[in-house]
Amino acid sequence: MLELYHSEPNTFFLKPLVALHEKQARFESRWFNAEQLDHFQLNTTRDIEAHLHLEREGPLLRHDDTVISNSFFMIEYIADALPGERLMPEAPYDIYRAHASGQFLGAHLGSLVPILGCVKYLVPRLHAMDRGKLDARLASIAPQERRVSWQALLDGTYTPQILATARERLKFPLARIEAQLASGPWLAGPRYSIADIDAYAMLCVLPDLTPELVNESATPRTCEYLARISARPAVRAALAMSRSGKPEQHFVPGVEPSRWG
Amino acid sequence: MTVHLYHWEPNANSGKPMLALAEKGVEFESHYIDLLKFDQHQPEYLKINPDGTIPAMVHGDRVLIESTPMMEYVDDAFEGPPLKPTDPKERWRMRWWMRFFDAYFGPSLSMIGWSVFVGPAVRQRPKEELEAAIARIPLESRRIAWRKAMFNEFGEAELAESRRRVQFCTGVLEDHLSRHRWIAGKTYSLGDVNGFNLGYALPLSQPDNCNDAKTPHIMEWLRRIYERPATRKIWALGRTAMAQRVKMLERTAHA
Repeated sequence: MLELYHSEPNTFFLKPLVALHEKQARFESRWFNAEQLDHFQLNTTRDIEAHLHLEREGPLLRHDDTVISNSFFMIEYIADALPGERLMPEAPYDIYRAHASGQFLGAHLGSLVPILGCVKYLVPRLHAMDRGKLDARLASIAPQERRVSWQALLDGTYTPQILATARERLKFPLARIEAQLASGPWLAGPRYSIADIDAYAMLCVLPDLTPELVNESATPRTCEYLARISARPAVRAALAMSRSGKPEQHFVPGVEPSRWG
Repeated sequence: MTVHLYHWEPNANSGKPMLALAEKGVEFESHYIDLLKFDQHQPEYLKINPDGTIPAMVHGDRVLIESTPMMEYVDDAFEGPPLKPTDPKERWRMRWWMRFFDAYFGPSLSMIGWSVFVGPAVRQRPKEELEAAIARIPLESRRIAWRKAMFNEFGEAELAESRRRVQFCTGVLEDHLSRHRWIAGKTYSLGDVNGFNLGYALPLSQPDNCNDAKTPHIMEWLRRIYERPATRKIWALGRTAMAQRVKMLERTAHA
């Protein structure tokens, strides 16, 4: 049995959908409305790994008796455990590059992109919700890091200054990606891999969220890279699972920014 | 092809590839980089790793600078006992816990460690020397961390939150190890190598949270790893009192 619990195919939720379609795997889609916090009503498991969500929000994959969490390790698991198209690099150094990319982009894009997306699209929807219902749902969220990330969207934490800092900090990972693409078409070796699925899911929304940072003139290789991945049938199939028709406008809070400042 | 490893003490990130290499039986050329003398920000080292972070590993023409992916490389690239489980679900669990250690437990523990150990160890030097040292740090995130440590700019609220998280994480780890012999499940793996580097000194640094009465499974797990020949070999390379803390895991210390 293979079941994917997911919301709109964007950012963290997009990654396993692309990987499963690349594998042409048969799976049951268990869609939930993350913007209504419906996933906190699901009783999928009490496993530590699923409950203590390190990305704070994201998909869950049930494979027989195990619930897999964390979107990067989930796509590595899909690559590893399911038959079909090879999605892991082959050479040990390329595997290292995939892991290092997942770790680096997880910390940088995984925290910065959701902030910009949530402020633009999710916050107005949260404010339109019934406040009593919303507060009741927020109060039930554990552990507290997940609750805090939702409350921060409502309490004015993300000031224009913080958003400007987030945009400024995006320049560092974006420059690294642009530089890496100068040495080859993919992020971890000569072939498309989980590193590209991971990066694409967070990068593809940036031409909308930060057009001044990601555009044909500032990041030509990144734009070409995104266009190349967007054309893949598996990516199209994953995006076609959207219920809103605009998956790129649906966000959830992401990885906690570094607590060191 | 010789493996060159640039590392500090067998502790935290430096200790991860050291112990992984020893478990695989791979000899390496050790280059000791003294973190407290800021060797990692000197021009010679920046030629190897322009980010100025440690550890770094050079294998032929390949340079590796991220410690947890570096361990996976060690397991993939060299002969020797496998350090990843054969079951994909256990491999996933191993990686989940390594991220838990690296991104959640570790930063809180290290914030406390930097406030009580690293900061005081360097703070007596002239302010101008410290400012110059900060100016040489390539990464903004590391400049922020060093500034906090050097000038004791940690806020009480953030230290309190770190202490809360360390207590919470210790409980989560105890819960996990009460149900699994090793981090990944049935197999000793890189997850244990990672976790030992994070947690070997918990009984000393967090005596109220981690002890035989409160966290017996963590204590037994740490002692089992300490008894491995590879662990003994690597911790014997330590040059400071920091690495000596491992000796409190001797069973005779508690007999």
